[in-house]
Amino acid sequence: MISAPPPPPPPALSAPLVPDAPVVPPSEQSAATEGGLRVAAALTDARIRVDSSFRGASIVLYGAVFNPSNTPTDVVVVMRGPETPIRLVKKTRNMGVWLNSRPVLFEGAPGFYMTASTRPLSDIADFGQLRRLGVGVDHLRIGAPDEQHTVTRYGVRDVVVSRLGDDYLDWRRAVIRLKEQAALYDTDPEGVRFVDKGLFRAEVNLPATAPTGEYHADVWLFQDGAPQSVSNLTLTVEKVGFERDVYEFAHRSPWLYGVLSVLLAAATGYGASRLFRRN
Amino acid sequence: MNWPILVLLGTAVGVVSGLFGVGGGFLMAPILIFLGIPPTVAVASQASHVVASSTSGVIRYSGQKAVDFKLGGIMAAGGAIGALAGVELFRYLRLLGQADLVVALSYLMFLGAIGTLMLNESLTEIIRRRRGETAPHKDRRRPLFLYGLPFRMRFPKSGLYISAIPPLALGIFAGILSAIMGVGGGFVLVPAMLYVLRMRAGAVVGTSLFQIIITTAITTILQAGRNQTVDIVLSTILLLGGVVGAQLGARFASRFRADTLRALLGLIVLGVGVYMGLELFVQPHDIFMLAPGIADK
Repeated sequence: MISAPPPPPPPALSAPLVPDAPVVPPSEQSAATEGGLRVAAALTDARIRVDSSFRGASIVLYGAVFNPSNTPTDVVVVMRGPETPIRLVKKTRNMGVWLNSRPVLFEGAPGFYMTASTRPLSDIADFGQLRRLGVGVDHLRIGAPDEQHTVTRYGVRDVVVSRLGDDYLDWRRAVIRLKEQAALYDTDPEGVRFVDKGLFRAEVNLPATAPTGEYHADVWLFQDGAPQSVSNLTLTVEKVGFERDVYEFAHRSPWLYGVLSVLLAAATGYGASRLFRRN
Repeated sequence: MNWPILVLLGTAVGVVSGLFGVGGGFLMAPILIFLGIPPTVAVASQASHVVASSTSGVIRYSGQKAVDFKLGGIMAAGGAIGALAGVELFRYLRLLGQADLVVALSYLMFLGAIGTLMLNESLTEIIRRRRGETAPHKDRRRPLFLYGLPFRMRFPKSGLYISAIPPLALGIFAGILSAIMGVGGGFVLVPAMLYVLRMRAGAVVGTSLFQIIITTAITTILQAGRNQTVDIVLSTILLLGGVVGAQLGARFASRFRADTLRALLGLIVLGVGVYMGLELFVQPHDIFMLAPGIADK
């Protein structure tokens, strides 16, 4: 468990974009920024279907770097899924028994987050730069509002939606660690490969548990540790197949689903007893 | 989750349930949790496995006219009330992040106590048999409160003329257990019907299975409707293996003596209770855990 001291948490409020990199309206095809040095990228498929084989899917992205100078550049691809609130409990030992704390709600954590880059992020840009851009799992703006306050949610009192004092870092790291264990967060320092001069390819693996919805991919071009250009892409992730249909059904008409599963169970029991009595 | 393991698991638990005449829920839920299925989903999904195995049981027993539908019906009404209350309780505990604790504690307490009692009783009997002693005369009197309470009814099949309140209360209790632990509650119902109600022994298992079907069916529907924790794919895979295993187990059962079987079952019940309880005392490998609730799938 001993590791380098973790970076302090980023501010909860977001003000992400760089002044010298104007926001490009999200689209499947990227538009490049002005100036000589720029990056353009496109997805091979803007609709990702995670099928019921439960092997997940992969997102392939191609891009080009237009670099008139000889100074080397770095490419960082940040893939971000729809935001999902996370409820976390901490186990503490009370009189020899491990008990759960009250659940803590974290907001602003993306349901999927992955960075792929040509080199380790810390070699590409310095801490402050990455923090300002919100690039890398350590720089995610996982929100817990500054003031500690408890609110009543879903009829449950004392749900904390806040910064947690000294423990806050442990909690925040736990969110990331648990997401990484579920393969929902990942950092791939070799995820972007140049297939030819100026042409790169990135592949992001999406586990079957990845949330559905709209994903955003930001393709950053760094030179000398400073962001020079960004290309924004959006894609849609949807799940298809039998398991997905069942899942949809279970959430759309849960009562009917429950009745059906009971009938199925009773029918199986009845069928088995008939079958075995004859033998 | 790979399905051959789940089919094998369903079959193995089915053999146990057929062999001992129990639903097998108390065994299935802990194994599913051990395999990494979230406790809330495990508890809710395997309830339909209990429905299937109990259905085939009731059909068998009603053929032998060993089901008291009147008593079973009253207990089932209590079971419905208990299931409603239990599912709401479960939902509330989940939001509090304390569902795992209550599940573990319930297993430790109930299975630990019942397992110890069963083991003690059957071992005493086995030792007595070995020594060739005859069983001491059992006190066949029922507790007096069964007669003191109002709403007395006749239950001819069970040989009872008692108040309807104790069976109803027993049903409520089993319903709550069914929702929280994902069990049928047979391990509580059968001893209570035998030693508290003192009903005719031949009708005990059939009647308790009848009550279990109704209660777990309601629990499954409520868990699906309120908590969305029923996984129909998982439960179907489990119950296909389960019904086959139950039939196999029922065939083996006649090769063993009743007290040997009870001692074995007591050992299994006690083991599961202790295993589930250990989780409370062993240091978890990650002290942070995702709490199910609004963000879970």
